[in-house]
Amino acid sequence: MKLNAFTWIIVTLAVTAWVFILPLEAVATILVLQLVLLLYIKRSKTMLAAIGGLGVFTGMMVLLQLLFGSPLDVSLFGGLRMLVMTLAFLCMLATTRIQSIAKALVDRFHLPVEYAFMLTAALRFVPNFLEDSTITLDAQSCRGYSNRGNALKRLLSYVVVIRPLVMRAVAKSETLALSMELRGFGANTYKNMPKEKFTAVDFVVLLIVVVLSTYPFWKKLLPA
Amino acid sequence: MKSVVSVKDFYFKYLRSGLVLKNINIEVEEGPFTVIIGPSGAGKTTLCKAITGIVPYYSGGDYAGDVKVLGETTKGKKVSDLAMKVGLMLEDYESQLVSLTAGEEVAFSLLNHGFPPEEAEERTRRALEDVGLPGRESYQLDELSGGQRQRLALASLLAVHPEIIVLDEPVSAMDPDGGESLYKLLNKIHKEHGTTFIVVEHRVEFVLPYVTNLIAVKNGEIAAQGSCEAVVADIYEDQELRPLLPELWQIKCSLEKKTGQTFALWRSAEEAAKELQAKGFGKGVRA
Repeated sequence: MKLNAFTWIIVTLAVTAWVFILPLEAVATILVLQLVLLLYIKRSKTMLAAIGGLGVFTGMMVLLQLLFGSPLDVSLFGGLRMLVMTLAFLCMLATTRIQSIAKALVDRFHLPVEYAFMLTAALRFVPNFLEDSTITLDAQSCRGYSNRGNALKRLLSYVVVIRPLVMRAVAKSETLALSMELRGFGANTYKNMPKEKFTAVDFVVLLIVVVLSTYPFWKKLLPA
Repeated sequence: MKSVVSVKDFYFKYLRSGLVLKNINIEVEEGPFTVIIGPSGAGKTTLCKAITGIVPYYSGGDYAGDVKVLGETTKGKKVSDLAMKVGLMLEDYESQLVSLTAGEEVAFSLLNHGFPPEEAEERTRRALEDVGLPGRESYQLDELSGGQRQRLALASLLAVHPEIIVLDEPVSAMDPDGGESLYKLLNKIHKEHGTTFIVVEHRVEFVLPYVTNLIAVKNGEIAAQGSCEAVVADIYEDQELRPLLPELWQIKCSLEKKTGQTFALWRSAEEAAKELQAKGFGKGVRA
């Protein structure tokens, strides 16, 4: 059972809206469903680290809200909302190829191809950027760069790493732009990619999205 | 022989630079394996870009003269349309890769040019086979080694079936084994597909067994061009260009000068040792 990228985008957007309109129990249920789904897809260290990272970040958000004087229940619900929203994106990225998401954004949401391609390009160049940062850090360390001292001193000294790193990234992006031009990047880029079909499951999921999204309207119609 | 690249009275300067190319006149015929040599900053890369239409139509700059590819001027042509006839692999081939998987990378140009997905898939499969990466369509780019990624960049050029392939220092970041293996592959493609190759190369030793023609560039001008047999002696006479010749050819030219004899254009140390022994240069000569 595999959902279409379009369906996933709709579900993700819907979840970000649901956390504000659905009651606490429903949002908590979504969280459980998301965790089950993520662990079912990939029970790896990376996945656990990603979920753990989001959990820690949520904890920090809850603490911040408490520090600014919000009541405990409001802070906890706020944190839960944020966690569910971010996990929705994680679910989409874990289940759908980024190219399919980009294609759906261009075909269905009429996003300009240049913006859609940024998603692919970002993922493509993250490993290269990390590799470059290690090389630059090593090279500058050989020339006397040291990250000792207080936070401000470390931040300022890090400029000697950032500057060449940015220059390298700019040079690479120029080559990338030239390569894309040579290879005819444009309106056809996503149009000619193989199309993903809608299945019955997509329609069922989209129907559920409609039903849950209209909850505030039909709630009034339900007997008390 | 049909001329596939014809550069006539071409001058070029980038915005805010001096003349990079001066009075360039080149004729590249269909089929040969041409190597462009020259000192750093001589204008070799710009010449490659001129052949592929990037200069001046993508990068900007002032120019005079004309470049014709397969009989048609590059003026007014989109670089992507030209790239269907003349493929270019840049020195930084890593940044030239734009997709996430090997299959998508090879199919990228094809799909952009409106090839049906089935044909794109078939061409992708064949191009990957040609470069020794069969069945790797679903591999993520970071699952491939540096050498494999370079082959992938080559496969994405081959997939569009260009008649000319231009490579800018393809082995500059490779170890000797990697360099030899890439040139072996290029020679195989050259023989099997009849593709015309134009390669910028600093280390001509790698391409020694395959090179048929040489173009020497110096200070933005063509210092010599033609078949290797015809131009090696001229290049040897130029003090600045001499070190760019493979050592074997430097020895050959030096011996010819000293002894007055003529030697074949050696393609390997074994070939040189054999001829030298045959001509009585001592039994101690070994490859």
